[in-house]
Amino acid sequence: MSHSDAIDERDFATLGHLRDLYDRADPVPAGLGERLKFAITVQALHAEVAELTQSALLATRGTSRQVESTRIDSVTFSAPSVGLMVSVSQSEDREGHVRIDGWVTRPGAVVEAVMEDRAVTAGADANGRFVVHDLPHGPIHFVIRVDPSDPKARPVITPTIEV
Amino acid sequence: MSPTAPDGVGTRSGQAFADYVAGDRQRLSDLVDLVTPVLWHAARAQGASPSTCEDAIQTALLQLVARAETIKEPAAVLGWLVVVVKREVWRLVRGERREIGVEQVPEGPAQQLDPESQSVLSERQRLLWHHIARLTPRCQELLRVIAFADRPDYAAIASSLGMPVGSIGPTRGRCLDKLRVSLGSDPGWAV
Repeated sequence: MSHSDAIDERDFATLGHLRDLYDRADPVPAGLGERLKFAITVQALHAEVAELTQSALLATRGTSRQVESTRIDSVTFSAPSVGLMVSVSQSEDREGHVRIDGWVTRPGAVVEAVMEDRAVTAGADANGRFVVHDLPHGPIHFVIRVDPSDPKARPVITPTIEV
Repeated sequence: MSPTAPDGVGTRSGQAFADYVAGDRQRLSDLVDLVTPVLWHAARAQGASPSTCEDAIQTALLQLVARAETIKEPAAVLGWLVVVVKREVWRLVRGERREIGVEQVPEGPAQQLDPESQSVLSERQRLLWHHIARLTPRCQELLRVIAFADRPDYAAIASSLGMPVGSIGPTRGRCLDKLRVSLGSDPGWAV
């Protein structure tokens, strides 16, 4: 046995033990992947970041390993250029899905609801209201385009919440 | 992740990044998921705080995205990120504003586990830790990082960490060999 031999099964087993050791002693922080993806999205969109200003029973991600929200209700985000309130309720048409009713302070804005595997776009009416039907449960964030006709305008992105 | 996977995490990250550059924006999420464990341990192996390490990893990924079109070898993206993360950790630790060169990155310190972390280890893990702690700091750093990668990636990661060619992969190399001899001579380990 020497250092010039090929790596064998016993070496892989040792490296596996080593990985378990560091996974236990110094694990990747919960939510790190989500925080990195959020930072990348903000940069890629040159976006303004909205703050979560008020929430009723909606849990934001990344604060704890297990996010369990029993009843989902409403949440408000604000940015200098726009405010957004969304309320989440059970879908009437599809069991296990949610309906999102939103209100944005800029009528005519376009709001994109972004989930891990899909993005749904909704246009706000003259009163700033919009609805997104039949979304699955899971993490979601919103991208708001206040003036959809101006491609150079900075979109606003919200932090990720769990619906 | 399996050590015998035909495509290592390096190859899969390279594919995800190439797809992203080609216009499949969703693949960036896969790339982040693939590289995060390796980058976390490459950063923490330098002895910096968790928040410094998070900042360094974020900076490296943002640089990658900002320069995506100019990265010459998409397949080598994991190694590129490891180099940038390591440099960025040291830049933050020293409080320097400008980017620092590879040659200014010092050797990593010996790996440390605080008492709280040690207390969550099993008896067998504590024994392994005892043997790890007897290796040189460079070997400790190398083994920590490659433990989160796959066999085809070992050589490239070793070189990104500044280790000489042949440090590991495809041959065992001196670091893994030392650990093997050390564990092999411990009757408590050979159960």
